Amino acid sequence: MLLLAFIYLSLFSFIGISLYRALQFASLPMHSRLELYPVPKEKGRGEYGGSYYEEMNWWTKRREISLVGELKEMLEEMLFIKRLFENQRPFWWISYALHLGIYFLGLWTVLLFVGAITEIAGLPVVTPKGVNPHWWTTLLYYGTILAGGAGAALATFGSGALFLRRLFNHTLKKYTTPQEYFNLLFIFAVLATGLMVWSADLGFNYGRAIFKGLLTFTPIEADGLLTLHIFLLGLLLIYIPQSKMGHYVAKYFTYHKILWDNDPNLPGSEVEKKVKEALSYKPKKTWSAPHYQQGQSKSQGM
Amino acid sequence: MIKHKDLRPKDFGKHPDGQLTKIEELMELPQPYNKPGMEPAFSEPKDAWKEKYCASLDGFIGLDTLTRPKTEEEEEELVHKFLSGLEKIFSDETNRNFLQPFLLSFEYCAKCNTCSEACHVFQASGCNELYRPIFRSEVLRKIAKRYFTNSGKLFGSLVGADLEVDWETIARLGELAYRCNLCRRCAQTCPLGLDNGMLTREIRKIFSQEMGIAPIPLHEKGTMLQLKTGSSTGITKPAFLDIIEFLEEDIEEKTGKKIKIPIDKKGADILLTHNAGEYVAWPENPAAFAIIFEEAGLDWTLSSDLIGYDNVNYGIWYDDAQARKVALAQFKAAKDLGVKRIVIGECGHAHKAAAVSADRMTYGADKVPVESCLPILLDIVKNKRIKLDPSKNNFPVTLHDPCNVVRQMGVVQPQREVLKLICPQFREMTPHGVHNYCCGGGSGFAIMQSMNFPEFRNKVSARMKFKQILDAFQDTIEDTSIPKYVCAPCSNCKGTIRDMLEFYKATAKFNVHYGGLVELMVNAMVDLEKPFLEFLLEE
Repeated sequence: MLLLAFIYLSLFSFIGISLYRALQFASLPMHSRLELYPVPKEKGRGEYGGSYYEEMNWWTKRREISLVGELKEMLEEMLFIKRLFENQRPFWWISYALHLGIYFLGLWTVLLFVGAITEIAGLPVVTPKGVNPHWWTTLLYYGTILAGGAGAALATFGSGALFLRRLFNHTLKKYTTPQEYFNLLFIFAVLATGLMVWSADLGFNYGRAIFKGLLTFTPIEADGLLTLHIFLLGLLLIYIPQSKMGHYVAKYFTYHKILWDNDPNLPGSEVEKKVKEALSYKPKKTWSAPHYQQGQSKSQGM
Repeated sequence: MIKHKDLRPKDFGKHPDGQLTKIEELMELPQPYNKPGMEPAFSEPKDAWKEKYCASLDGFIGLDTLTRPKTEEEEEELVHKFLSGLEKIFSDETNRNFLQPFLLSFEYCAKCNTCSEACHVFQASGCNELYRPIFRSEVLRKIAKRYFTNSGKLFGSLVGADLEVDWETIARLGELAYRCNLCRRCAQTCPLGLDNGMLTREIRKIFSQEMGIAPIPLHEKGTMLQLKTGSSTGITKPAFLDIIEFLEEDIEEKTGKKIKIPIDKKGADILLTHNAGEYVAWPENPAAFAIIFEEAGLDWTLSSDLIGYDNVNYGIWYDDAQARKVALAQFKAAKDLGVKRIVIGECGHAHKAAAVSADRMTYGADKVPVESCLPILLDIVKNKRIKLDPSKNNFPVTLHDPCNVVRQMGVVQPQREVLKLICPQFREMTPHGVHNYCCGGGSGFAIMQSMNFPEFRNKVSARMKFKQILDAFQDTIEDTSIPKYVCAPCSNCKGTIRDMLEFYKATAKFNVHYGGLVELMVNAMVDLEKPFLEFLLEE
C-alpha cells in the first residue's frame, strides 16, 4: 500500500509542481516587448520573418493572424526539436533520441492505462493461454510492447549518450555542473532499472497490473527490482519539474509569451488594459544610481 | 594568462598575470584580405590604462567609467553595490518589465551551445571561449547562485555556485557585457527560446542602474545630453535650424531643386525623425529624405522642439529608466506638434526603441503611432510617385539588414523590394534578412571610441560583416574601376561600416562605398543632371 501511495504522490507532484511553476511564470508582471522574427503567426509574412510593421499606417489596418502558421511551427518544434535539427545536427541526434524516447514512453503509459481499464472492464489483455485474440487487446498488447520497447531503447541511448558527450566533449565539459551530470544519470538509472524489469516480463503485464492497482486502490505486488524502479521513477517525477529538466514549462512562455508576443498596444486593446495596470504599480524599492534618483518615477513600468 | 581554449567560467575570478585571456587567432577573411599585412595588428593596452581601468579581461577597455577603486573601502562599496544590483534584477519590485524573460533565460539553459554557432563575435574571434554566449551567462549564474540561492549556499560547486566576487571579477563582468552587440541572433537559434543577449543587457543594467557605471558615449554624452539639450550630438535648436538652412542650400547646389524643408508644421501627417548624427556626419541622408518626401508630395515636417529632431534612444542598450525617459519625451514632442504619426528615418535602434520597446511604455492619448520609413519609401517607388531611372545605379549594391529593423521588428521586404526596382546589380549577402549578422556596431559599439575599444570593434565584432561584404562583391572586388555600394539603412550601422572600410582601407584600395537607401533613390531620379552619390562624381 505504501508503494501505491508513493506512486500517487509522485504523479500528483509531477503535475502539481509543473502547474505551480507555470502559474509562477504566468503571474509575473507584464514584460517589455522582446519579440524576435520570424513570428509564425504573422499571416503571409511568417515564412520570411516579416511583420505588420511592413505596412504603412499599420495601426489602421486589420491585423491578420495565422493560427495555422503558429501551430505548424509549434508542432515542428515540439515533435522534432526543429531549431536544434537546423542549427546543431550532431547534438540533435542524441537529444532527439532522448526526447522521442520520452514521447514513446508517454504513449506507452497511455496504452498501459487503457489496457488496465480494458481489463477492469472485463476484457483481459492476456489470458492463461496467451494474448487475448480479440482485436482490441491484441492491438493494445503489441502497441504497448512497441511503444515501451522503442521508448526505453531510445531514451536509454539518448540519456547515456548525452552523459558521455558532456563528459568527453572538451567544450561541454567546461559548462556542465555535477548536478547536470546527475540529472542525466538519474534518467539513465530509471531507464536501466526499467529495462531490467521489462526483461523478465516482455509483455509489460506488470505495468497494467500497477495501473489496475492505481485505479482500484489495491496494493501492488512488486519484487525488489520493480520496487527500486518504481521508487526511482517516482523520485524522478518529483524532481523533474523542480530542475531545469522541467523546460517543457519554460518553452511555452519563451515562445508564446516572449519571442512570438508582438501584440501591439492599441487603444481599447487587451494589451492596453495590461499596460495601464502595469504602469499604475508603485514599486517600494528603486535602483541606486544617481540618474535614477533624478526624476525617476515610473521607470520600472513598461 | 589562460589560453582561451582552456578557459572555464569558474576561472573568471582568477588573476593570472593581470589579464584573464587574449585573442589568439581571428577568423580568416576572404580574398583579397586573406593575405598577410592586409589589416593592422592589435596594439597592446597602455600601462596607464591598466592602472586606471579594467584591462584585465581581454586587454580591451569599453567601460570608460569603470575605474579602479583607490581604497579598500571603495572596493568594498563597489562589491556591495554590484551584489545589491544583482539582487534587484531578480525582484518583481525593481525589474518588473524584464523579470519573466530574464528568469526563464537564467534558469533553463541546457548548455547545448547552439547559440555559439550563431554568434558573430564568437565566430570572428576564432571561437575564443571568452566570447561564447553562454560563458558570460554562466559567470552570472555562478555568482547569483553563490550569493542568492539556497541550493548554491548548501551545495556550492555541485550546482555550479563556485564563483566568489571581488572588484576585479565584477569589473571583468562589466567589460564582458560590452563584448556583445545584443543582436539576439543567439536567441533566434536557441531550441529553448532563451536569450543570452537579454541576459547581457541585464548585466549592463546592474552597472548602470545601481552602480552608475556606463560608457560615456552612451550615458553622459548620450541619453543625459539628449535629455538636457534635445540631442545626443549636443545640437541645440538654433544649431539645428542653421543645419536645416545649410541643407536647403546644399540641395539646391547639388540638384538645382529649391526645397523648403518644413519645420514645426502643426498638424502635419508625418513627423519625420532622424538620428541627429546624420546631420553632422551624413547630411546627404536627411537631404535625400527631404527631396523624396517633397517630390512625392507628402504632408510632413521636422520638429525643432527639444528631443523632437533626434530619434536616438541609447537607453535601450543599457538602461531601462533612460530608455523610458527619452521615449516619452519623443512622444510628447510629436503630441505637441499634433502630427498623426511618427516616421522613423534610417536609424535601426530608433526603430526598435520607438516602435517596439516604447510600445508598452505608455498608452492612450500620450502615445503617437510609430512607423518605419521603409514601407513609405517602397510605396513611393512602386507607385512611381517620383520618376526613377535604375540605370543610374548600375553598379554592384548589397544590403545590410540592421538587426533592430529586421530581426527585432520584422521589416524585411520593403527595403529589398526598393533595391530590386532601382539597382540592377543588387545582390544579397549571405545570410540575410532576419538571419543577418549584426554590423558589429550594435548596442553602442559604433559610438564607443575610447582607448583601444575601436580595435575590438573593427577587428572582431565587425569582422563577420566585413567578410559578408567581401563575399557579396567577390566578382568585382579587385576591379578597382567598379564602385561597390553597401546599402545600410541605419545610422549606427553606417558608422560601423564607415570605420570598418577606413580601417581595412577598402574604399581606397577596392572602391567600396556605403550609404543609406534614400541616397540611392535620389541618385536614380530622372530629373537630376549630376549623380547624387559623391563617389560617382569623382569618377
